[in-house]
Amino acid sequence: MIIWAIAKTTVGDALRKKILQVFLVVAIGLIVLSLSFSQTLSFSSQRGASADFMLLKSFGLGMMALAGIFISLILGVTLIPQEFERRTIYTILAKPVKRYEFITGKFLGALLTLAIATGLMGLTFIATIVFKAIGAQQMAMSPTTGAMPGVGVDSVAIFDWNMVWGVILIYLQFMVLSSIVLLFSLIFTTTVNFFMGAAVYAIGFMSTVVNSLGGAERASGLQQVFFKTLSFVLPQFDQFNIPNQLLHPETQVANLGIWTLKMTLYALLYVSLTLVAAILIFERKEV
Amino acid sequence: MAEAVVVEGLCKEYKGRLGDRVMAVNNLSFAVQEGEIFGFIGPNGAGKTTTIKMLLGLLFPTSGKATVLGKPAGDIEAKERISYLPESPYFYEHMTGAEVLDFYCQLFRMDTATRRKKVPELLERVGLGKDGQRTLRQYSKGMLQRVGIAQALINEPDLLFFDEPTSGLDPIAHKDIQDLIGSLREQGKTVFLSSHQLSDVEHVCNRVAIINRGELVRIGTMVELLHAGRTIVTVACASAELVESLKPLAEHVSAEGDLIRLYVETEDSVHAVLDAIRGKASLVSVVPQRQTLEDLFVEIVREGRK
Repeated sequence: MIIWAIAKTTVGDALRKKILQVFLVVAIGLIVLSLSFSQTLSFSSQRGASADFMLLKSFGLGMMALAGIFISLILGVTLIPQEFERRTIYTILAKPVKRYEFITGKFLGALLTLAIATGLMGLTFIATIVFKAIGAQQMAMSPTTGAMPGVGVDSVAIFDWNMVWGVILIYLQFMVLSSIVLLFSLIFTTTVNFFMGAAVYAIGFMSTVVNSLGGAERASGLQQVFFKTLSFVLPQFDQFNIPNQLLHPETQVANLGIWTLKMTLYALLYVSLTLVAAILIFERKEV
Repeated sequence: MAEAVVVEGLCKEYKGRLGDRVMAVNNLSFAVQEGEIFGFIGPNGAGKTTTIKMLLGLLFPTSGKATVLGKPAGDIEAKERISYLPESPYFYEHMTGAEVLDFYCQLFRMDTATRRKKVPELLERVGLGKDGQRTLRQYSKGMLQRVGIAQALINEPDLLFFDEPTSGLDPIAHKDIQDLIGSLREQGKTVFLSSHQLSDVEHVCNRVAIINRGELVRIGTMVELLHAGRTIVTVACASAELVESLKPLAEHVSAEGDLIRLYVETEDSVHAVLDAIRGKASLVSVVPQRQTLEDLFVEIVREGRK
């Protein structure tokens, strides 16, 4: 009950942050604008349709990820320090509230806020793609602008479940990143935390590269250990971006649903460990 | 009577910016009895808030120990029975007064039915019955303080920690806080009151502890702390001879027309003066001057600076 009460209050507070609203509105605006941007693309042939839809989806997912990363960073770095600045933490922890309940409630609130933001962006993204797919089908069936008989109409599905998996995988990234910055916020200042969080994301985004550096023949033993450790400890954010074919043109996943499940377990494990670490630190933190 | 708060050799050391050690609280020991209104005063930076935060488990002592209602400071069971009103309390501004109180009620695991009954009662009790649906952004400082008081009364606490409860309040709100402390005393509650309003402390507290630079300087009841001051004896129509005979009994003598004022230090001297003037002059008044808490406080703080 206490955790839920703190979480709800956190959501109400977070959704009123102007900067988060700006990022959200801009991201949604850009996803919608991708409709007009796509007017220049060709949807009239089978090859053109699938390639152009791939581009649209990648653009939408990219926008969501970019806006969401900033939202996760801003939300995560301010989540606990703001309680200190506003001194709201004193009256809360003077009540029979266990410290783990406070941290868990704040984090759950952040996750719910991110879920709302991702949900709004995701719905806009999927609606945009569906809208465009319907338009493409109509265009393909038109006798004047249509494709060659038997080409194009069936090539673009109106609704593709992979879009949903893509949105979920993006949300999982936000979960992991916000848990990391929450942990850091108990140790570092807000500004340092923001840049450290961004650095962790950047390195995690290149985890395959970092991992391969660890296995490079030219690397010394120490360098190998360093890169291997880095790749193991930091979250592998690039694995969450598999559905984005612009980022991973060579990677083919047989079943994206199963891949999403696997990544969900990975994210939950990572978030749980980070949260436990945050709770252990906060138990001894003076407020 | 049981002890509500026991502090034994409590110390809090901070690391300064230059790596030096700063003793915020140094070997503090005292006890607060149940049902007592206990004043905790000291200049800015004396360690009052640090001590309160240690008693609430928000800060951890470097050494020493503290118990609150028989439990170690910060214990969750004890927190069920205590409350805290910080100086200038802050709440989530986007919430209404009623929502804030509902939130704090949830922290006591109150169910929805209890909260629905409790919140309007609390709002009425602190005079915010008509403002409960306004967001805190629209509240004045005094109204926010009332919300603070309301959240401190949610659990009908046995022990209340008030840290500068009247800071920056207008006279009406100030009076309301005084009345509240008075009613809490009547209900047998224990109040740990830290304040710079020394007249309030002197007026409402049973006992007072004065700390300076983290150390306990004095503790006791008002009678124990404030010694009787001198007495001004005013007489009229006294002859020059009589005035001369009275001078050895008084610390200082002043004349204003027909009136002679004698500033007498001890009770024995007062009796001697009264015996001496009997039948020889008219007694106008005998006014004993008592030392105030403010006098004592200023004296102690100035001594500490030397």
